[in-house]
Amino acid sequence: MSEMKDMLIEVIDKIFKDCADKETVDLLEEGKWAENLWELLAENEMLNFALLEEHGGVGGDLDCIFNVYRLVGRYAVPIPFVEHTLANFTLETSGLSPITERATILIDEEQMLELQEDRLSGLLHNVPWARHMQQLVTAAKQQDDYYIVQIPLENAAITKQINLAAEPRDSITFNNAAVIQKIVVPYELIQSLKKINTAANIAKMSGALEKANELTVQYSKERQQFGRPIHRFQLIQQHIAILAGETAITNTSVDNMISALAEGREEYEVALARLRIDESSRIVATSAHQVHAAIGVTHEHNLHHYTRRLWSWREEGYTSYYWKKVLAQTLLQSEMDLWEFITKSNNVIQPIGGETNG
Amino acid sequence: MKLPTVQFTEQQEKFRLEVRSFLKKQIELGTFNTKCDSWLSGSDPSFSKIIAKQGWIGMTWPEEYGGGGRSSIDRYILTEEFLAVGAPVAAHWFADRQTGPLLLRFGTEEQRKFFLPKIVKGECFFAIGLSEPNSGSDLASVSTRATKVEGGWLVNGAKTWTSNAHDAHYMVTLVRTEPLDPEKKHKGLSQLIIDLHADGVEIKPIRYLTGENHFNDVFFENVFVPDNMVVGTLGNGWVQGLAELAYERSGPERILSTFPLLNELVEELKKQGDLIGLGEASKLIAEMWGLRNLSIGVAKMLEEGGEVAIPAALVKSIGTKFEQKVPEVARLLVQTMPCLEAHKNFDRYMAEAILHSPGFTIRGGTSEVLYGIVAKGVVAG
Repeated sequence: MSEMKDMLIEVIDKIFKDCADKETVDLLEEGKWAENLWELLAENEMLNFALLEEHGGVGGDLDCIFNVYRLVGRYAVPIPFVEHTLANFTLETSGLSPITERATILIDEEQMLELQEDRLSGLLHNVPWARHMQQLVTAAKQQDDYYIVQIPLENAAITKQINLAAEPRDSITFNNAAVIQKIVVPYELIQSLKKINTAANIAKMSGALEKANELTVQYSKERQQFGRPIHRFQLIQQHIAILAGETAITNTSVDNMISALAEGREEYEVALARLRIDESSRIVATSAHQVHAAIGVTHEHNLHHYTRRLWSWREEGYTSYYWKKVLAQTLLQSEMDLWEFITKSNNVIQPIGGETNG
Repeated sequence: MKLPTVQFTEQQEKFRLEVRSFLKKQIELGTFNTKCDSWLSGSDPSFSKIIAKQGWIGMTWPEEYGGGGRSSIDRYILTEEFLAVGAPVAAHWFADRQTGPLLLRFGTEEQRKFFLPKIVKGECFFAIGLSEPNSGSDLASVSTRATKVEGGWLVNGAKTWTSNAHDAHYMVTLVRTEPLDPEKKHKGLSQLIIDLHADGVEIKPIRYLTGENHFNDVFFENVFVPDNMVVGTLGNGWVQGLAELAYERSGPERILSTFPLLNELVEELKKQGDLIGLGEASKLIAEMWGLRNLSIGVAKMLEEGGEVAIPAALVKSIGTKFEQKVPEVARLLVQTMPCLEAHKNFDRYMAEAILHSPGFTIRGGTSEVLYGIVAKGVVAG
């Protein structure tokens, strides 16, 4: 599986590197859609990479999926690659058929519409990229039952909105719109989809964070003041060291979170990683801008592609605000002391080295 | 900088529980009281002997020297469990953490055979002689000198801030065995093992701001050190010392010095049913989890012989800042009147955490020096 993962990462990394250049990312500000990038991914059959092998994917290998999502942050990829692939992953995981039409996803327990005779009516906020997409995969309720549904966006009323990085986060209204597919799912699946969506967001954030760090180190070597590169100054070195530390802690924590999810032993790793990356996003954005000084706050420089994404993504989906409360409740109810709690979340359920799904 | 993730095996988890229940029993027996910063300020030679009986000193060293032949992850688990309950492990700490690995890597067979079994039995403690009155962060400027004489060396000079020298039997001492070349300060330094009971050695306590005695001034006046007490290669002391620093800087003691307070904070908040407070505490827990991932990753890499100087410096600089943050967050979540004599655990741990905090980011390399090391490494890499 790891060979497959390396190959995929190499292919997708190259596509992003070649096509998600500054001009393409900037298109977003004009409300435009990077069609060529989407097409290139489609031609290379990368839009179904998160599916089962018979559908051309990696068989739901979460290690592979989340490591690919890191690249989306790393290149500030201006298309809903994560949303489309996660929507299809969700369809397949819940027992529905994946689709080739452009799909986005919203899993939000606070925003679940009521299914009535296979139709949905109502308003949904912060639907990623809705204006550019054809289908929505979301969770709905029917009395006490939870459903995963696929519903077309063509007849939905869309109010365009954007996040701090100019990524579409639209409000959409359905008026008695018919779902195309639906399946009743256990509440546990909704819970696990919350984690999957949070983890995807964390993976994206870690990629953006790493890139902001690299840009800063690079700039500190190129920029000269007082006759020498600014990395020679101790106060700049302090920023560089802090950035390196936050990046190392974030990457190791995201690695730990991914392996816990991939090996099916995740307990609180997603919550802890989410809280931790909030902290590193704040520190990295602050220090990266401080070292870049004035040039870094211009639109011309690309640092803002990453810092604006960090500021946006940290507020999206299930945020630290939510996971902090989950952890508080868990601690309150737990009979373990804190040390038992922490060391238990590192417990072995299955021996290491075993092949995961697929 | 890619560090491995570590998943503990079932056997390692069993070992963790074994250590935990042993320590719990010791607390019940009254052998020790939980304390913040116990790995440095909690020296109890008799407790070290108890630990030695368990086979828990030198547990990673080869069996031929009395060691346990266990993995460094086992030792990591052991260390974490000591720190989580604030056990007084300072007496044997430096020998176990640094001197053993140093001798295994650079020492002579004679030195290993002589020292390691004694360390393992908890009968021989080491101090590490680095800083001098005029050499702190600029360590390479040390001026304690060793002059060649028949059969050995005569040492003159002074070391300072030497933790636990008053309980230790020997000191691995960084000395100048060649005259100082101001252009190449790192050259001509060597590591000598000095018997702290030898003639000409004088140890004077430096009282910590609480009045306690953790560190010391150590003076040398014509102290004779035989040739067979030179560690490794003459003149190679700087490089050998650097190798030790990865062990010194990356362990759980750079994260957990104030853990007893954090643990007690959560207990207090649970008692009060304070969900908002527990939410704030969760942020600290996430920070600790992040640091722990990094620190365990370094431990694993050290075992595999990887280059870890930079991540080790990161564990120390960020970990110790976290240790300092714990009391500052905790005091805003639970009402406290900190006092070292307090009956209430929370107040006592708070006092220990606050009073010991300033040292965390100084000892073992100041944060400022570490930032410099990291930044230079990052820019060069």
